[in-house]
Amino acid sequence: MRTVLAIALFFASTLCAAEHWAFRPIVRPEVPKVGTPGSSPVDAFIIAKLEHEGLKLSSAADRRTLLRRAAYTVTGLPPTADEVSRFQSGGTPFSDVVERLLASDAYGERWARHWLDVVRFAESHGFEMNQPRPNAWRYRDYVIGAFNKDLPYDRFVQEQIAGDVLGVPEATGFLVAGPWDQVKSPDPVLTANQRADELHDIVSTTASTFLGLTVGCARCHDHKFDPVPQKDYFAIKAVFEGVQHGEGELPKAAAEQAELDAIRREIDVVQNQIDESEPIATRAQSVPRAPVSPARNIERFEPVTVRRLKFSITRTTDAEPCIDELEVYSTSGENVALAKAGTVATASSVYPDSAIHRLEHINDGRYGNGRSWISNERGRGWVELTFSNRVTISRIVWARDRERAFKDRLATEYEILAADDGGELAVIASSADRADFKQGAGESDTPIDHPLLAKLRALEKKYAARKEGERVYAGSFTAMPPATRRFHRGDPMSPREEVSPGTLSCLEANFVAASHDAALTEDQRRRLSFARWVIDARNPLTARVMVNRIWQYHFGEGLVGTPSDFGAKGAAPTHPELLDWLADEFIRSGWSIKHVHRLILNSAVYQQASAPTKEGLQRDASARLLWRFPPRRLEAEAIRDSVLLISGTLDRRVGGPGFSFFEPNENYVRVYAPRSEWSSETFRRMVYGTVVRQRPDGVFGVFDCPDAGQIAPKRTRSTTPLQALNLLNSTFMFEQSQRFAAELQRSKSNLEGQLRLAFERAFQRTPTADELTAAHSLAEEHGLPIFCRALLNSNEFVYLF
Amino acid sequence: MRHDPIVSNAGRWLLDRRNFLRYGGTGLSGISLLSLLAADKSLAPQFSAEKPYAPRLPAKAPAAKNVLVIFCSGALSHLDVWDYKPELIARHDQPLPGNDKLITFQGENGNLVKPLWEFRPRGQSGKMISDMLPQLADLADDLCFVHSMTAKSNTHGPAENQMSTGFILDGFPSMGAWATYALGSENQDLPAFVAIPDPRGIPQVGPNHWSSGFLPAVFQGTAFNADKPIPNLATPKGISPSAELGTRDFLKILNDSHLAAHPGDSDLSARIASYELAAKMQLSAAEVGDLSRESKATLDLYGVTGGDDLKSRFAKNCILARRLIERGVRFVQLFNGAYAMGEGVGNWDGHKSLKSQYDVHRQILDQPCAALIRDMRARGLLDETLVVFVTEFGRMPTFQKGASGRDHNPHGFTVWMTGAGVKRGFSYGATDEFGFKSVRNVTTIYDLHATILHLLGLDHEQLSYYHNGIERRLTDVHGEVLHDLLTTA
Repeated sequence: MRTVLAIALFFASTLCAAEHWAFRPIVRPEVPKVGTPGSSPVDAFIIAKLEHEGLKLSSAADRRTLLRRAAYTVTGLPPTADEVSRFQSGGTPFSDVVERLLASDAYGERWARHWLDVVRFAESHGFEMNQPRPNAWRYRDYVIGAFNKDLPYDRFVQEQIAGDVLGVPEATGFLVAGPWDQVKSPDPVLTANQRADELHDIVSTTASTFLGLTVGCARCHDHKFDPVPQKDYFAIKAVFEGVQHGEGELPKAAAEQAELDAIRREIDVVQNQIDESEPIATRAQSVPRAPVSPARNIERFEPVTVRRLKFSITRTTDAEPCIDELEVYSTSGENVALAKAGTVATASSVYPDSAIHRLEHINDGRYGNGRSWISNERGRGWVELTFSNRVTISRIVWARDRERAFKDRLATEYEILAADDGGELAVIASSADRADFKQGAGESDTPIDHPLLAKLRALEKKYAARKEGERVYAGSFTAMPPATRRFHRGDPMSPREEVSPGTLSCLEANFVAASHDAALTEDQRRRLSFARWVIDARNPLTARVMVNRIWQYHFGEGLVGTPSDFGAKGAAPTHPELLDWLADEFIRSGWSIKHVHRLILNSAVYQQASAPTKEGLQRDASARLLWRFPPRRLEAEAIRDSVLLISGTLDRRVGGPGFSFFEPNENYVRVYAPRSEWSSETFRRMVYGTVVRQRPDGVFGVFDCPDAGQIAPKRTRSTTPLQALNLLNSTFMFEQSQRFAAELQRSKSNLEGQLRLAFERAFQRTPTADELTAAHSLAEEHGLPIFCRALLNSNEFVYLF
Repeated sequence: MRHDPIVSNAGRWLLDRRNFLRYGGTGLSGISLLSLLAADKSLAPQFSAEKPYAPRLPAKAPAAKNVLVIFCSGALSHLDVWDYKPELIARHDQPLPGNDKLITFQGENGNLVKPLWEFRPRGQSGKMISDMLPQLADLADDLCFVHSMTAKSNTHGPAENQMSTGFILDGFPSMGAWATYALGSENQDLPAFVAIPDPRGIPQVGPNHWSSGFLPAVFQGTAFNADKPIPNLATPKGISPSAELGTRDFLKILNDSHLAAHPGDSDLSARIASYELAAKMQLSAAEVGDLSRESKATLDLYGVTGGDDLKSRFAKNCILARRLIERGVRFVQLFNGAYAMGEGVGNWDGHKSLKSQYDVHRQILDQPCAALIRDMRARGLLDETLVVFVTEFGRMPTFQKGASGRDHNPHGFTVWMTGAGVKRGFSYGATDEFGFKSVRNVTTIYDLHATILHLLGLDHEQLSYYHNGIERRLTDVHGEVLHDLLTTA
């Protein structure tokens, strides 16, 4: 047996792309001519295979079972008893039910949770400290929204890899959804290993999520089974070399930004008025002018008419000088230095390969280190402005960083020179008459006691309060990523040759420059190019992998049993033609996920009964060939959400910050003690519970919730005594039983009515006579909550048929 | 051929059956497959959904049936207790040769510092051990030391991950999960794998130590200690025994009629069985945690009495560990040290002031832990139980610059074993003359894990589980059994 398998694997690895099924182009297959007239292509493929094995499709499931099944697989919630009885009484075609379910918010909430498993999403860092990521939930909301509006999958893929370029900055939460070790050290070996592990997580998750390939296996050596040489791993690593874990600010809405700009202009007016009291530079001073400040410096002089102006630096506090903005004011108070006024800047040199330190930032009207110029000479450098016309100026304002984050690279010795058309440059201001700069001193940037100072400070405060935008944990990006080198045996301490960004060498669609848009940074270009390769029509993996995931979450098992491994070591598809037909439909539909849902849900295969047959069990016990709908236990989320729904407490609010399963804690190594009380803010769907790495919820986590340390493209399904203890004895369940009972008592006045309603809510059916008798005696003797608790512990409640 | 899932392609079957067991571990109606599975010994461990903890025989006769891991969280300094280095004493306050600019985890280092406790010969073997842990030192003739252990990371989180799961990253199954996945348990009424957190809290990477990772959740360790029972073990207050009984009866009626309507679905009966197991566990777990029947002599031996609260609570955990092993629980982890209180305050992370910090911790650890070994020996439990004493890495032979403590050192440290299958009064491997780096018989955590599995009758290269493209093992792609340590090679 082993030999046979070994040969098969050997074939796959040596013959590369041409021979392994997953790498072959998608060819739309002929639909087999089987089944009854009117049956769908999905049915035809399944029936053909069943017939070949001497099996057949089961008859249609009863309407109650079908509705419950569809409600759960599409929305993760049970139908109401009313919905069931309406559907049972006929009239409504099932396809209408499908549309209703797919249109509900609950659909996105359900399917986003599946996606979050695939991408190892959590809202804490993991490892030792495991502190929270308070703004990671925006990515969860992004995913819910994407499913609900049926965002085309090709777009969904691109946004998650390069959303910052595509106007969806929260989507790159995907890249940094994995663990990140917060414990940092001066030890360079540890630091290099941590960085290598971070990027490994990003590379391997990107490949497994979209391509269904275990590219991560090629970190230390060529992949043993799939055509992924080690250099491909590092080529993909180079694509993500600019990605760092961290938060970023979301862009503001236009109205907010306009308001902010208005405050800015008001500040400028007041500031200019205050600046008028600054001493004139170069004039003999009885007391020296204030020392230079990193945050703001004013140079006032007698009005002079000039055509060009040069700021020449001859000493800095350290390193190459930095100026975030050079403002030159005319006597009428207008900043004539701005590029948009036609002024052209030149410089002695510019800091190489930087997106944030650029010459055009010297006069772009924007402040801060992120929009600054740095020379490429230690301790010196100059900038020269040539105005579009002759201008009469009397004041210059400059700084290292007006946002006050940086104090290094400050010019301490400089001259400002100016010249009129054809004239020689002459000094109009300099550092000569300033007091000596002392580190930490000289922070004051305006004269004290100015009558307008209070107004200025108030405006600045107002500005600062509004400037802080919404934040998201979606990574931060280095415009010009450092060089990527292949690591011998994956060891960062053994770097070898440099590797350029690229894709999988065996798939012919090669890495094409996505855009020559100069507005993109090198990092952005790399990620966008990679994303476009992933969704390139010549890449057969992307569509196959996604339709298989959709299939899996409906039937409990994919056509390919290893959903994130389509390589030679993964499982082969049970129905390769159906997989390709679905993939082709997916692409033709414009990558519509809902279209694939419709194809599946409206098939007889999906709608068949789940009862076992002797032949079926004998020939295909796990029902991989789908001679019945395979029953299964519901997931943790579906159980918790159902409990809340039928007890009448479920809060259906969509989106926003999550609730916590744990007691509050501020320890630097975060302590997660399961909460002992459940207040109503926790009665939302479980997808809105803050996901803590290593620590699934204390009640429902034992129902195979992933711990988000590694990807979980397919959950295990365990049955354990701890699950029983939690459902029987947890405070959460006990309280919910009481709430369920209270809800029944509100709705029905007599016990029998209450019991019947309970069965309808929990099972969407009426009780049998025996059940009713037993329920009566339990509730009468021990109270309605005890009966409710029992109902919520039954097999029928947690199994899907 | 591999594209056809059902016809009798051997390779295809292999995958299918494996997947059936792994993903459909509680899959539906395994009946028709079970006979086929029995024929193939090379496959992954087989367990039924109804009885996931049913004892399973390993391929080879095991030397040990159970494992007790004692984990000192925070990195216990090997140099101050187990690893005697005369040269370190002789060159006290001199620079570590060849490493004058060495940057370790927290930064720069000062000069060599001799052990903070005196070493003296112990027992018949004359093994040199310091006065830091005098009662454990007295057991020297019982212990099997590995002085040349190395770790892959010098950070607590990843290093603790490696010691308990084999990988420095989050998300991998722990040693106890692997062991119970392979072997089930000898006791069907208790969890197969129990983690006993320190009374001060959980260790640095907390539940990763007892995680099932991508193995079925049924093999996850259950964490409880003498202070805190299994969560949700007790029936809620306000539910009388008769109400509980009535509930069980009613559930049986519901589940029986449901089962009758869905014949042949073994998942359903497995879940019914899990409720029966839960009921038994309520009794058994309460019994195992009830120390009231332990004799005064036992309580005194462990140090439960004597007035020190933390020591007393840790001592109770030690008794709990013995009681679990006694009752056939397959894998027990006993933790000494927790992180919530901060660096070195509640654990062995002695960066700043090692002497004063360890003077607290050693009092808590020494007597109860030594009593546990003695007691297990006296009761004959060590005949079938392997005890492994570990920490995530060692510490530097120098003090940190400007501090009175030692920085992290993954290059050489000491672990020891005792009990079933390992030599007594034996030392293996060595660090260099200062105790900085392993130089003789250098061992890895993979080797340690391979050895533990070997003693359980398991081949670390065979025990695997498919996860996303890789047959994952506890030992990754490494590990050599340390035959020199074993009583029978």
